Amino acid sequence: MIRSLRNIDWSLFILMLLILIYGVVIVYTASTTKVGDEIYTSNYFIKQIAWILISLTIFILVIKLPYSIIDSLIYPIYILSILMLIAVLFTPGVKGSHRWLSFGLFNFQPSELAKLATVLVLAKILSKRHINDWHILSRTFIITIIPFSLILIQPDLGTAVAVVASAFVILLASDLPKFYLVLLLTPLLSVVTSVSLFLFILMMLLIIFVLYKMRISYIIMGFTVVINTFIFAVSPLIWNSLKTYQQNRILSFIDPLRDPLGAGYQIIQSRIAIGSGGTFGKGFLMGTQKNLEFLPEHHTDFIFSVVGEEFGFIGSSLLIVLFFLLLYRIMRVMNKLKQPQTYLIVVGIASFLTFQIFVNIGMNMGIVPTTGIPLPFISYGGSNLLINIVAIALIQKFMKERSVFE
Amino acid sequence: MLETNNNFPRYYIYITAGLFALLLVYLFNLQILNSERFKGISEKNYVRLRNIAPIRGELYDREFQPIVLNRSSYNLYITPASIENKDNLVSFLSANFKISLDEFKDFLYKNRFRHHHELILAQNIGFETVIKTSEHLNYFPSLTFKSETIREYQYPNHFTGYVGRINDQEYARLSDSGYTINSVIGKSGLERQYEQLLRGENGYEIMQVDARGRSLNLFKHNLYKPAEHGKTLVLSIDNRLQNYITSILPEEHNSAVVVMDVSTGGILAYVSQPEYDLNMFSVRISSLDWESLMTDQRRPMLDRVIHATYPPASVYKPIIASIGWDEGLLDLETEFAECTGGMQIGDRFFNCWYEDGHGKLSLIDAMKHSCDVYFYDLSLLLSLEVLEQKTKENHFTVHTGIDIPGERRGFFPNRRWYIENYGRNISITGQKVNLSIGQGEMLITPLQVCAYYNAIANNGNWIKPHLLDRIVDKDIVRVVDPEIEPLPYAKENIEAIQHSLYATVNERYGTGMAARYPGVDVYGKTGSAENHMGSETHAWFAGYAKWDSEPEIAFVVFLENAGGGGSVAAPIARRIIGYYNEIREQ
Repeated sequence: MIRSLRNIDWSLFILMLLILIYGVVIVYTASTTKVGDEIYTSNYFIKQIAWILISLTIFILVIKLPYSIIDSLIYPIYILSILMLIAVLFTPGVKGSHRWLSFGLFNFQPSELAKLATVLVLAKILSKRHINDWHILSRTFIITIIPFSLILIQPDLGTAVAVVASAFVILLASDLPKFYLVLLLTPLLSVVTSVSLFLFILMMLLIIFVLYKMRISYIIMGFTVVINTFIFAVSPLIWNSLKTYQQNRILSFIDPLRDPLGAGYQIIQSRIAIGSGGTFGKGFLMGTQKNLEFLPEHHTDFIFSVVGEEFGFIGSSLLIVLFFLLLYRIMRVMNKLKQPQTYLIVVGIASFLTFQIFVNIGMNMGIVPTTGIPLPFISYGGSNLLINIVAIALIQKFMKERSVFE
Repeated sequence: MLETNNNFPRYYIYITAGLFALLLVYLFNLQILNSERFKGISEKNYVRLRNIAPIRGELYDREFQPIVLNRSSYNLYITPASIENKDNLVSFLSANFKISLDEFKDFLYKNRFRHHHELILAQNIGFETVIKTSEHLNYFPSLTFKSETIREYQYPNHFTGYVGRINDQEYARLSDSGYTINSVIGKSGLERQYEQLLRGENGYEIMQVDARGRSLNLFKHNLYKPAEHGKTLVLSIDNRLQNYITSILPEEHNSAVVVMDVSTGGILAYVSQPEYDLNMFSVRISSLDWESLMTDQRRPMLDRVIHATYPPASVYKPIIASIGWDEGLLDLETEFAECTGGMQIGDRFFNCWYEDGHGKLSLIDAMKHSCDVYFYDLSLLLSLEVLEQKTKENHFTVHTGIDIPGERRGFFPNRRWYIENYGRNISITGQKVNLSIGQGEMLITPLQVCAYYNAIANNGNWIKPHLLDRIVDKDIVRVVDPEIEPLPYAKENIEAIQHSLYATVNERYGTGMAARYPGVDVYGKTGSAENHMGSETHAWFAGYAKWDSEPEIAFVVFLENAGGGGSVAAPIARRIIGYYNEIREQ
C-alpha cells in the first residue's frame, strides 16, 4: 500500500495532511459547547475522521489505478453526476434546498462530484486538437451550463459559481485565443454598468480598444457592441419587473448588512468572533461566540470564525499560509506537466480550490457575499472532503506518472 | 499547444498570492487593529437579536361570541449559559415550581446546544407565585418571568383543535419561517389548518448598544420591526346551537352531530361525544392526564364526525335510489320484487328489517318504510363498478374537503378487494345486496352524510362543508366563498328523493315520524346500522328542515350502538330543529 506512495510529491501530501489534522481539531471544538465545567460534544469530529480515513483509502486507490481506466471513466462519471444532480431535486429539502442524496449510512452531495467531473471533461475537450474555436467553445458552454444550472436551482449559488469559475480559468489556461474570454465577460460587465450610461460607454470604448488591439474582425466587434447595448437597455427593465422582495434579496446578497435577520446577522456575529480572537485567540474550546446560538453553521460554512476566535491572528494566518503553500505546490506541479490534458485538469482543480478558500474565508470576514460554500479540507462534511482529497490524489498521480504522459 | 501559456502558472500564483494577502490584511484589521472593540462586544453580548412574538388570532362564532381566546399567562424562562450557583437554583426551582433535579438535568441535557437561548422552563404560573418569587430572581440571573398569552378554549369541542410547543421535527422544518424553539404551533383541528393565518408574523429588534447606551452602529437598516398579529377568524359555528346539542346528547352513548347552513355549507354545530377539555393542552399536559385520555375506552380524543367511519345503513338508500333513477332503472311508479319479510337471492335469503313484509311498494313508499327488499332487487340490476363510481359522485366514501386536517375517506369495496379478502369464489351479487342498504363493507363519516342531505336540500347543489366563514384582518373582513359542486342528476331525480324524505317524516307509518316539528317542514331518513361493535344498531337520522318553503339547515344525528334510528336519533333531531326554530326567531 505504502509502496504506491513512493514517487508522490511528499510536500504536497504533508501539507494536505497538516490541513486535515488542523480541520479535525477545529471541527472538534466547533461542535463542542463548554458551560462552566461541563463539556458537551456532538460526534461530528468522529464522523469527520471516518471520512478522512475513507478518503485517504480512495486516495491510494486513485494513485494505483492505471490512468487509462480513469480516463475512460471521465464521461461516465460526468453523466452519473448529472443524473445525481437531477435525482437530488426530487429529494425532500433540508432548510429549503435540495443538496443531499441519502445512501442510508451517509449522505452525498452530488454537486461536489459534478464540480470535479466538469473539470475533467473540460480538460479532455480543450486538450484535443481542434480546427474550429467556436465549436470547442460551444461544447465548453454546454458541458458547464448543465451542472451549473442544476446546482443553481438546488439552490447552491456558491458551488454553482465555483463550477463556472474553474471552467473560466481552464479556458484561460488553454490555447484558445483570449479575446473569447473578453467576449464572454462583456455581458456581465454590461449588467453591472447598466446603472450608469457614462460607465457603460467607458466600458464599451475600453472593450473596443482591446478587441482592436487583438485585431479582431469588425463583424465580431459590431456584434459585441449590439449585444451589449441590448443587455444594457434591458437590465433596468428586468430589475424593475422584479418584486420588491426579490430586489431585496439581490441587494442583501451584495450588502448582507441590509438583512440583519439573515446573512447580515451571521456575518456580524462571525466578524465579532474573529475580531474578539485578537492576536493569540481565546484558546482551544474557550470561544464564547462559538456557542451555537450565534452561528448556526459554525462547524460547516462558518468554521473559519471558530479558528479566528480560538486561535487568533496567529492561528488563522497560519491556516491561510498553509493553504497558500498547498496551492503553491500545486502550481509547481502544474509547471512540470507538459501533457495538455493533465495540465488543464490541475489548473481546474487549483482554481476551484482557490475559489472556495478565498470565498469562504472572505465571507466569514464579511468582505465577500455569503453564498454557502464550505472551507476545503476543514469544514465538516464528507462529500466536499472526499472530492477535494481525490482531486489532490489526481494531481499526485499526474506528478508521479508524468513520464508516461510525455 | 502550451507555447503561449507558459506563463499561466506564474500568473496564477501571483493572483492567488494577491488574494490571500488581501485576506491577511483584513484579518490583521479585524484581529489586531480592532480586536479590543470586538472583544468588548463579545464579552457583554451586546448584539442580540430579540424576536417579538405575534399575538395569535382568536376564534369567534357567527354571532361574534368567543370560541378560542388568548389569556395572559406568566412563563418562566431560563438562559442556561448564565446559570450561577446551580445547587441553590435547583432547590429554588423544586420548592417553587415543582421541578425536580432529574427533570432539570434532563432539560439542560436536551438543550445542551442552546445554552445562550432563553428557554421556557415553566408555564402558566400563578400570579401569587410570581409575586412571591420575583424578589428572589435577583439571585438567579439565569431566570426571567415573561408575560405571554395562552389559549383559552371556551368549551370542549373537536373542531378547534389545540396548540402546543413546537417539537423538534416541526422546528427543523419551520425554523426558517420565523419559528423559534419556544414557539407555539397548531397541533390539530382549525388551529393547525389555519396556522398561517392565526400565527401572524414575528417582529424583531436588534439590540446593539454598549453599557452606556451608545450605539455600536453595526447595522444600518431595519433595527426594529413590529410583530404582525394573527388574524381573527369568524366561524360559521353557532355557539348556542353547539352548546344546546352538547347538552341534550345522552351521556352514555358515543355520538356525532353536525348541523349545516344549507345555502352556504357553513357548519353551525359540530359535536362529537364524549368531549375532552382542550385547555389541558394549553399548559404542558401532565402525564397523568395524558395517560387517562389515551387509555379511556371511549376514546374522547377521537373526532367521530370525520375521524371515525361507520356503515351508513338506510341513510344510504336515497343515494342508491338516485343511482337507479340515473341509470334509467326506476321512476316514481316503478315497483320491484314483493317484500315478504325478505327476498331469496340465489341460495341465500336476505331479510328485510320488517319481518311481516311490506308487499309491493313504489319508490316513495319503499323509502318511507325503509323497505330493504326494494333496494335488494334494484341492486341486482346495477354493476358493482357503477355502484362504486356513482356512490362517489354523491361524495360518499371520498374526502369532503372540510377545513379540518386528517379527515378520513371511508371505504367502498371493489371487485379486487373482495377477491383478495374472500377468495375467487366470492359472490359479488350477495355483496351488492348488502351494499344496497348501506351495510356490507361500505364505511362513511357522519360529515359525508350531512353534506349529502345538505345537497338534496339545495336541489342537488353539493357544497363543500367548512367552518371558516370570515377572516378579520385589521378592519377588513374577508368572506370565504362556498365551493359548489352540483350532483350530476336530473331535476326530477332530486325531486323524487326530496319527496320521499318528506314522506318518511310526515306521512303515516313513515320511519322518521319522531322528527316532526309543528310549523316546520322536516325532511329526513332514518338508519339503523348493524355493526361489529355491539349488539345494538348504530342510530342514524339525517335530513333537513324548511321554514316558509326555504331549506335552512341540514343535519345528521348519529349515536353508536344506541338502537334504531327512528326511535333514538329522530327525536334528538326534532329537539335540535325545535331549538333552532327558537333561536332563529330571536
